[in-house]
Amino acid sequence: MKEINSIYIIDDDHITVFGIKKMLKTIVSCNDIEAFENGRLALDSLRERIQTGVPAPEVIFLDINMPIMDGWEFLEEFVTLDLKDKIIINVITSSIDPSDYQKWNDFRLKCWHYLNFKNKPIYRIEVTDLNRINITSLP
Amino acid sequence: MKAIETSPHTYLIKQLPKPTVFIDRHHNLITASDSWFSVFNLQPDTSENQPITKLFASHEGFQANELKQCLNENKTNRLHHTSISDSQLNWFESTFTPWFDEKENLLGTIIQTDNINQEVANEAELKRINTLLKAKSEVAKVGSWEYDIANDKITWCSMTKKIHEVSSSYEPNVTEGLSFYKQGYSRNRISMLFHKLLEKGVPFSERLVIVTHKGDERWVAAGGKAIKKDGKVIKLFGTFQDVHEQVLADIKTKESEQLLTTLIDNLPLNVFIKDKDSRKLLVNKSECEYLGAKPEDLIGKTDFDLYNKDVAQISRDEDLEVMRTQKSMVGVETINVRKDGSATNFLTSKIPLLDLNGKAYGLIGMSMDITHMKQKEDQLRNLINVTAIQNKKLINFAHIVSHNLRSHTANFSMLLDFLIKEKDESEKERIMGMLSHASDNLLDTLENLNEVVDISTNINMDKKSLNLNENIIKVQQNLSAFLERNKVEFINSVPDNLTVMSVPAYLESIILNLVTNAVKYRQPNTSPIISLNAKKQEDSVIFSISDNGLGIDLNRYGNKIFGMYKTFHNNKDARGLGLYIIKNQIEAMGGGITVNSEVDKGTTFNVYFNEESQ
Repeated sequence: MKEINSIYIIDDDHITVFGIKKMLKTIVSCNDIEAFENGRLALDSLRERIQTGVPAPEVIFLDINMPIMDGWEFLEEFVTLDLKDKIIINVITSSIDPSDYQKWNDFRLKCWHYLNFKNKPIYRIEVTDLNRINITSLP
Repeated sequence: MKAIETSPHTYLIKQLPKPTVFIDRHHNLITASDSWFSVFNLQPDTSENQPITKLFASHEGFQANELKQCLNENKTNRLHHTSISDSQLNWFESTFTPWFDEKENLLGTIIQTDNINQEVANEAELKRINTLLKAKSEVAKVGSWEYDIANDKITWCSMTKKIHEVSSSYEPNVTEGLSFYKQGYSRNRISMLFHKLLEKGVPFSERLVIVTHKGDERWVAAGGKAIKKDGKVIKLFGTFQDVHEQVLADIKTKESEQLLTTLIDNLPLNVFIKDKDSRKLLVNKSECEYLGAKPEDLIGKTDFDLYNKDVAQISRDEDLEVMRTQKSMVGVETINVRKDGSATNFLTSKIPLLDLNGKAYGLIGMSMDITHMKQKEDQLRNLINVTAIQNKKLINFAHIVSHNLRSHTANFSMLLDFLIKEKDESEKERIMGMLSHASDNLLDTLENLNEVVDISTNINMDKKSLNLNENIIKVQQNLSAFLERNKVEFINSVPDNLTVMSVPAYLESIILNLVTNAVKYRQPNTSPIISLNAKKQEDSVIFSISDNGLGIDLNRYGNKIFGMYKTFHNNKDARGLGLYIIKNQIEAMGGGITVNSEVDKGTTFNVYFNEESQ
């Protein structure tokens, strides 16, 4: 069982959050899984962690379509944060709009974190999704 | 012989003013007047008894035997002769008359000699004039005719005969002369004219058709004049001219002129000719119709008289350029604005007119009215724009649909996968609950999408004139509990009688959404104030609704505020659908919606109702 300090799930869909949490349970041991309904809330939490010296999450599951602040807007601000470690970000979306995939690729190339792309539905989370390698799964 | 020697007679003869000479039967001179001697340049004393032939020898122009014949024949004879004195040729005519005594005995001959220089000159002049006249008549094909009324004799000159194609020996009479004219108009007309000339002396000049002796039809110009004596017509004369080629050429010219005029007038183009000061010299029917004026009202006018100043100046500059460069301006799109302000699009060509020295003295202009085509072009462009926008909207909508449906089906798929693998009964039940929740969400989504599709497909929407205030009050009543609960101050300044063109259900939806939004996104610790206002503009009514709520960062969300499933505040009720739907409804009615907002101050939505009934 892989051990991870902290995981963020940023998605306004409760069912997806439930699913991700459930799937994580089978492959990872983590006591700090936090879920946020939009990018803004996640960013606020991240900033607080940086300020208070609490380590940032190692893995983030990020939805694209969310109110207030969507996944892309979150990434826009996220890349400006002062983070010491590379973070694995799994972009998870039900969108099959090619422009979303293009955007993911643009971000992947310009940010130094690990960016994966996963289309819903997802049935399991692989250990590789939690390792620091760039992969994408397309339907 | 002796008798004539009587001196008084001799002296008398000597003094005769007319040059006269008396000769005996042997042709010897007996006596002569001094004037006679001077004609032959002789001295009287030395000439007596000289043979007359000898004396005549100093003159020329006749043969010696001619003289002898005249003397021998004993009857009156004439002889022309010439002499040269002072290097000038003099013409003489000698008249030979037999000379008898009282008893009719032949004594000799009396010769009288006249200087006929004047007559000869006159004759030469007459001959010259005749020749000239003949030449003239041949060249101009002008013949003449004369009618002597007393003798009922008509005379044609040779040219007149030639024109009639009759032989030179032909002797016409009045009836025959008139019958040469072609039966019908020509013959009736000439008969009438001839009659009037004969009776009243009314002159005429007319172009008519004759049928020649050989049977050819020819146009002639016949003229007639009367000579009167004591107020009575005694003689008629006139001219007769072959004008066949001329008339045919005239007819041809007229025909081609007619053809050209018909062509220019009926071209579906405005045609005009201008002089170098841009004054109109010619306008065709289309140009007259376009300007609503008669040709005589347009000739001499410039564009400054007909169009507004700016347009006229552009046109004048074009004219000058065409005349300066001598290069045609072809198919240029121009806009003319008439004095009444109406504009017309033209496709205009201007071609310089050059004189024989190659200088431009004006131009020909042709303008085709393409206003209609322009309008069609604009309509087409608009249609393309509308189509492009709608296409974009459709693609956007398709993505939304696909995304939303996918997200639910993805959830189903995932949850079902869990369910199959799950062993724990309580966990199974939890998953079942979630499945049922996902199913509800899917139904909601479908319902929302249906609502949107309804707007987009509602082509036969029924816009009606609706009282805005009545509709606001209706919404206010429906929401009364909601408004009261939230302590909303509702300031309605919409005029009572203001109407908008709208689909009834849409108007209610617009007001309802905007009012509830204003309440939903209020400042947490402030009572909401909603102000409604409306005013009529040219083609639209602006309906404004302002609040003192949270406001929205338009720099950040401006392009998304009317998007589907876009929410910007932490509000549990937000579906991200209201503004998307009313924007679609407003646009479907040909209107628009705009937003002004400032964070923590409030938001104003302006709805533009399109008042043009489409």
